Amino acid sequence: MTWEIDYLALAPELVIVVTLLVVLALDLFLTRPNKYWTATAAVAGTALAAIPLVILAVEGENVSMFEGSYVVDEFALVLKGLFVVSAYLVLLLSHHYIESERFYQGEYYFLLLASVLGSLVMASARDLIILFIGLELTTGPLFLLAGWRKGDAKSNEASVKYFILGVLSTAILLWGMSMLYGLTGEITFAGLATATAGLADEPAMIVAVLFVIVGFAFKISAAPFHFWAPDTYEGAPTPVTAYLSVNSKAAGFVAFLLVMYLALPELSEIWAPALWILAAASMTLGNLSALRQSNIVRLLAYSSIAQAGFMLVPFAAAAVAGTNIEEGFSATVIYLVIYALMNVGAFATVIAGANRTATGDIDGWAGLGKIDARLGVLIGIFFFSLAGIPPLAGWFAKFAMFRAVILAGGTATVVLAVIAAVNAVIALYYYARVIKAVWLDDAPAEVPARAETPPSVSLRLALLISAALTIVIGFFPAIATFVGDASRIIAAGG
Amino acid sequence: MSPYFESYLTVGTFAALGAVLVMVMLGVASVLRPTNPTAAKRATYECGVDPVGSGWSQTYVRYYVFGLLFVIFDVEAVFIFPWAIAAEELGVFGLVAMFLFILTLLEGLAYAIKKGVLRWE
Repeated sequence: MTWEIDYLALAPELVIVVTLLVVLALDLFLTRPNKYWTATAAVAGTALAAIPLVILAVEGENVSMFEGSYVVDEFALVLKGLFVVSAYLVLLLSHHYIESERFYQGEYYFLLLASVLGSLVMASARDLIILFIGLELTTGPLFLLAGWRKGDAKSNEASVKYFILGVLSTAILLWGMSMLYGLTGEITFAGLATATAGLADEPAMIVAVLFVIVGFAFKISAAPFHFWAPDTYEGAPTPVTAYLSVNSKAAGFVAFLLVMYLALPELSEIWAPALWILAAASMTLGNLSALRQSNIVRLLAYSSIAQAGFMLVPFAAAAVAGTNIEEGFSATVIYLVIYALMNVGAFATVIAGANRTATGDIDGWAGLGKIDARLGVLIGIFFFSLAGIPPLAGWFAKFAMFRAVILAGGTATVVLAVIAAVNAVIALYYYARVIKAVWLDDAPAEVPARAETPPSVSLRLALLISAALTIVIGFFPAIATFVGDASRIIAAGG
Repeated sequence: MSPYFESYLTVGTFAALGAVLVMVMLGVASVLRPTNPTAAKRATYECGVDPVGSGWSQTYVRYYVFGLLFVIFDVEAVFIFPWAIAAEELGVFGLVAMFLFILTLLEGLAYAIKKGVLRWE
């Protein structure tokens, strides 16, 4: 007996596996001054993983393996592309940061790549078990990485909080999944979609679906399950925070959407109102809490909670209205991709800004634009993009979101759209506050000494790539609509 | 009541009967038996040996690493035994796959040895 395995379709995952094994082996034989080779290997391996992705995208052939449990189609490829690009950017951010203090280096890259592998698996997973393994592989290494600054009490707090709530959410999620399996006897999404028809009134099914939603809501830090996020984001090393708020969040989102959309479309009357509440609560709570933050990383943590709410809006609205669900789904995925790219950039400016001013307080960044104009411009680009100001990428994300909501129609949908519109204005206030501090506030009398050496080449490269993507997508939204088309194909069952 | 919940009724009945059985047995025993406690009878039972020290004791932290490594290779065994039974059917593909699996785990062991985790001094 042999399995039909398409090795080209699995090549991105295989490249990452080989890379992480090589990184761990390299770490054993390198002396401390030479440890940077592990970073080089990790960056090179991640870049290499993009090649099979491009080949697969050009071929454009859908591959289905293991009896439909593992699928490589355009949708999976788009998301894998996102995970590889954002992982590449995070690795660039990490390089100097991890080297500059006495961190374990080889293990860091090993764990980060293991997490990337998990997110790649998740994009292709079309059954509950593979999805669960992918999700755990994504979050497991991050429990350790969040506590990478071993001597720092805040980093330990970050790690412990993330670990405890992560394990709790995993347990709830797994319980919900086991009930789904118990009620239907199916684990593949296609099987679940047919087997759950007409079961929406079964009390046990309602509990199962709600447990799955709660489990995922923890992973994507949607309110009211967001309490771990600000403390974890603040305490973790900044590159890890960037990874948490981008890759890990996007991976959680993808899993969440796939389960709801592909496995449980028949039960949308259970999960659609729950998603509606999650979206409204995340936007409102996240934005209102962000107003009062003085630390830039905490501000971005609450901003990422609010953005999770915005991302849920189109999908939740379409599901509640029961029309144009594929439009809602694709708008959510477009938002997710754009958010990921601009948020990596925002964290890159946080690392560079903290390097320059030796503080993470927004007030401490006063006049930064006059001290370092290029950094000031970049901060402007990413924060205005997060706020959704044209012509930066963020505006198209918001545009796609509101367009999908209008297409869906209906009273509940309009209410959600109003909440989203009010929140978009609130969000502008606190994003603009950072830019005001950087450009309009007076610089302190004495220019703060550089905390460190000037920003490393890898940090500059990361800033350059994410800024370029943010601007290009803003001017040419067609790139992002390609993402939307790919997700509409999955909607058609292709 | 749906047949789904009816099948759980059996479980519920069984659990209730089990609880009643335990209560009845303990209740009858406490009525019938003589009560004559001595110091030796009240001591904690530790395989018949006199208990030593208090309930709180320290464990050498190194056992933790050994425990972790043990789990890894224990899990390896769980995968190897079913594979060994079907090895002929799985053929060369199965052999290569299993080698890759074991080599991956061996890298973990090499890591542990190189980091000096297994050195006992």
